[in-house]
Formats: sequence, C-alpha cells, structure tokens
Amino acid sequence: MLSEREIISTLEMLKYENLDLRTVTIGINLADCVSDDLGRFIAAITNRINQQAGRLVETCERISGKYGIPVVNKRIAISPIAVVGAPFNAAQLVEVARALDVAAATVGVDFIGGFSALVEKGMAAGDRALLAAIPEALAVTGRLCASVNVASTRAGVNMDAVLQLGQTIKEAAERTRAADGVGAAKLVVFANIPQDIPFMAGAYLGIGEPDTVINVGVSGPGVVKRAIERALADEPGIDLGRISEVIKQTAAKVTRAGELIGREVAAALGVPFGVVDLSLAPTPNRGDSVGEIFQALGLRAIGAPGSTAALALLNDAVKKGGAFASSHVGGLSGAFIPVSEDQAIAEAAASGELTLDKLEALTSVCSVGLDMVPLPGDTSAATLAAIIADEMAIGVVNRKTTAARLIPVPGKRAGDSVQFGGLLGAAIIVPVRGGAADNRFVRYGGRIPAPTQSLNN
Amino acid sequence: MDKLVIAVLGRDRPGILAAASRVLVEQNCNIEDVSQTILQALFGALFVVSVADGTDPEELRARLLSGVRDFNLEVYVSPYSGGGQANAIAGLPYVVTALGPDRHGLVAAIAAVLAGGAINITNLKAVFKGGDDPRDNIMIFEVDVPAGSDLRVLRARLQEVAHSLHLEINLQHRAIFERMNRI
Repeated sequence: MLSEREIISTLEMLKYENLDLRTVTIGINLADCVSDDLGRFIAAITNRINQQAGRLVETCERISGKYGIPVVNKRIAISPIAVVGAPFNAAQLVEVARALDVAAATVGVDFIGGFSALVEKGMAAGDRALLAAIPEALAVTGRLCASVNVASTRAGVNMDAVLQLGQTIKEAAERTRAADGVGAAKLVVFANIPQDIPFMAGAYLGIGEPDTVINVGVSGPGVVKRAIERALADEPGIDLGRISEVIKQTAAKVTRAGELIGREVAAALGVPFGVVDLSLAPTPNRGDSVGEIFQALGLRAIGAPGSTAALALLNDAVKKGGAFASSHVGGLSGAFIPVSEDQAIAEAAASGELTLDKLEALTSVCSVGLDMVPLPGDTSAATLAAIIADEMAIGVVNRKTTAARLIPVPGKRAGDSVQFGGLLGAAIIVPVRGGAADNRFVRYGGRIPAPTQSLNN
Repeated sequence: MDKLVIAVLGRDRPGILAAASRVLVEQNCNIEDVSQTILQALFGALFVVSVADGTDPEELRARLLSGVRDFNLEVYVSPYSGGGQANAIAGLPYVVTALGPDRHGLVAAIAAVLAGGAINITNLKAVFKGGDDPRDNIMIFEVDVPAGSDLRVLRARLQEVAHSLHLEINLQHRAIFERMNRI
C-alpha cells in the first residue's frame, strides 16, 4: 500500500512543479554506414535512422502515458559526422545535413545531434570539411545540431580550432540573420565533451558507445525550488548543510523517475539503457527556472554576490543525489544556466545584475558553460574566440565539461531584445567590453599545453 | 481450525485495541490478520482470527461486547471462509487520483467506471481538507487493472467523469510512486 504522502508528493512534482522527462535520446552508431559514395552514404544513414528510431516517438508517448510523466522531447544522437563522413567535402556534408534533417522529421524527433567533430589535439580532413560546412548546414536545416570539442584536460586547448570557430559562429549567425542568428544557437563548442549527453545542442554518440543506446535527460528546476521553499517554511533555523540535503533528496527522486522511464523505453525498443543525465534544465516558463532557485536561496538575482557559492552548492547536491539514485549517471548532470532559455536568468542579464564576466565565473562550478548568451552582432570573431578560449581553460584546468553557445546577433546591439522562439527563449543582448576589437592573443595559434592535471594515470 | 471475522467500530480513544485483544487471548483466538484505521474521530478494526472448531460466533461477540463495554463499541462476529488470499484476478497495479472540489457522487462515479472495466479497488483513501485548492482535496484509488485491458478506453471514461464533475483525474502505474519515494 502506498502512503498518501508518497502519492501527493509525486503528484505535486508532476502537476505543479513542472517535473518532466526533458528528453529521451536514442544514440545511433553510423560507423558501418561509411562509404565514399555520397548517395550510398546518405541512403545508408537514412535507413539506419528509420530502422532504429522509427518507433521511438510512439514508444515514449505510450510509456509517458502509463506513468503520467511527460516526455517533452524525443531526440537522436549519431556518431560524429566528421568521422563517419570523413571522405566528403564541405558541400557534400551540407547534403548529409539536409538528409539528417529529413530523417529526423520523418521519425518525428525534435532534434538530431552529431554534426560534430572532436579536434582538441588537431584536425583531420573530415574535421576541416565539417567545420567549413557548419554555417550553411545549420542555416538550411531546422532540427540539426552541431558540436565541436576543441579542448580536453588530456590534450589542452586547440587554439587554431578556437579561432576558426569564432569565425564559424559569426557565419552561422549571419546566415540566419532574419531569425536573430539562431543558427549559432544550434552550435556548441566544448571542452571535455561527454560521449553520452542526451541534451541538445551537444548530443552525439561517442566512439566508445554501443550500436544503439537510450540516454535520458531529466529536468526539474521547479521541483528543487519548491523543495527549498518548503524546507525554509517548515524548518526555522535551517542551514546550508540541511538545504543541500533537501536538494540532494529531491534530485534522487527525480533521477529515479527518469531511470524508470528510460529503462522501460530501452526495453520496449530492445536496446541497452545508457545513462540518466540529471540536469536542472530550465525552460522559459515561470516555475521552471534555475534562476528562481537563486532567489529561493535568498539572493536578489542570479549574478548577485554569493551566486557562485550558491551554484556550487546546488550543482554538487544535484550530482550527489543523482549518483545515489542511479548507478549510471552521465552526460552533463548538474545545473544549466542558459541565459535566453531561463526567464529569471534572462531578466538578471537584462537588468545588469548578471554580466558576462559573472556568467563566466559561474561556469567554473555549473555543469556546462556559457550557454545561449546573445551578444552584440559586431562582436569580432577574435573576441568570440577569446571568450571561448577562457571558457575552455576553465574546463581543462578543472577537469570539467565546459561549453560555449554564443550567438552574435546580426545587426543588433547590447540592450536590444532577441526572440529565438520555443525552448530557446528570448533575452536582452549582453554587452561585451571591447567586443568589436581584435585580439592578438588568440591569433598566435597552436595548442595551449595540457595542464599537469593531465599527467595522472 | 475455524476462522472468524471480527469488526469493531466506535469512537476512538486509547485502550480499545488492548481491551479487544485481551478478550481474544482469553478466548484462545489467534489473530491471523488485522487492519485498523481511524477516520476523523472514529476507530475501526477488522480481524481474521483462527479459533477452536465449534466456537460459537455469537458467544464470542457477547464476550467481546462485555470486555469492551467501557468503550461503547459496535462489534460484529461471523464465520469466515474466504481463504488466505483475495479472489480477485491478479492485474496491473495502477493508481487513480482525483483532484478537485469535493463533489456529490464523486466516489460512486469513479467506482462505477472502474467496476465497468472489471477493475478491483484494493485501497481507497480520501484527503479532503476543504477549500478551493485542488491539492487539498484528493481521492486516491489503488486498483488492479486486468491484464489486456485497453488503457485508452479506461482513460477516456475517467476523463468523461472528470469533465462532468470538474475534477482532474489521473491514471498512473504504481511504479512511478514507488520508485520516486522508496529506496
């Protein structure tokens, strides 16, 4: 027999606190589709995606109904196209991108990720073609996401790639000028990219992964915020140790819901279950915000002094709760701080409480990095590269994943508003000090050596 | 050994169970199963006991009434022949929750839908705190849905009831509640 407390607590999370399964992502290995004939390659990957993901959406809907928990997005992560599409040039890879977009639409998923390259130590022919193809590929598709890993704790930072990506991001934004540069919102630059991220735009299927795998991304910033508010109301004299415990317990519950659904979807599709990525992934809806958690913790807004400490506590408690609840926690697992996707974070940035510099500080303790940050359209490629380099350095030295998803919005200036639509949200453009200037440092090129942290066994 | 079912009902106060069970010990009744609950100020307990063959239920009832006379209780005693397990068909464990204002005929309407689908209610609990907040007025039905039932049909029928009574009704597999709350 269930207790009424158990039932009511779960119902409240689902009905009033926006608990959902943010994504069920099927990883599909395309390695054996390889061909140097473009038509044959496209036919093979299209078939593979249809075969493996054809039943994904209906299966997720059925299991979502069974447990009464929404599965908001269904997605596909594929082998990095820079590897499996290595024989092709940039124009041919744009054709591959179009085919992937069509395949994603055919099986009904929201996004397909894996237009990706891993170049932290240097670039191969396929990587160069992919980087050259990214701006057009993101402009002519709707569901395709791209990611490039340019740094790792083992390899250091590939500054040639960083500089080139500054230019790639500019072009991706420029080619989608009419939509506020949304092309750049589908491109993430990483340090230490995990192989099993279910979230976009960073999802791809790592080289060490099986033929097919189900990874799930659970969200729940609203659940954590309400748990903190309840604890503050119920426990006078509560301290931060106890607040951390409350977050941890809440994260554990959310993780277990995600694993239940993920394992059942995997079993129904006859593929292995991979990981739960327990990330506090906000949406632009009120009550589904990571920024609001900072307010619940007693800060005026995210960005106020104390925010980095608060985020460190939050991220750590989320990871510990997730690790306790599931043996297979992976992906990013922590708190996202995407500016335009989170209303409270967007408001803090608009009011000036949250600056680009403070965002960078926060990324040293959050689960990802500078995410969905709209910048002035005249920000130079060199400045973008320098911002990316800073972000990569934080990840490399701290042995953590960091990422940069920067959108230099064409034709707009700091303080102007942008609308990306849907989950990508809206925001006011964040100023960059000296953003239009050149930057000699990033032009030296070469590789920033791996830190001593890389020398462990 | 014969079995008897005993029901005890009355205003709740400390000592009821002690008094009733003392009589059962004196009468050599072995308690095989017991469930007790408190609803508002009301105490209720249901016992299945094994007794020596030929024990007279009426005589046991008289002794129980005498043993608990200070508590002013209703006592029911009757032969029990139901076996060790419920005879319901094993099914899939689901939970139906109804959120919303306390409406006349709410339990009857939902129970009728469930009965129509040959669904056994294994536990029913109401949490009515009054007021307009739907969270303060929740009916919880734990049910066994026969294997092979069409859940879409059941869901649609429950939604009709939900609509006519201005309620929100959810049908969820029990595992979601267990997994999230139990280690």
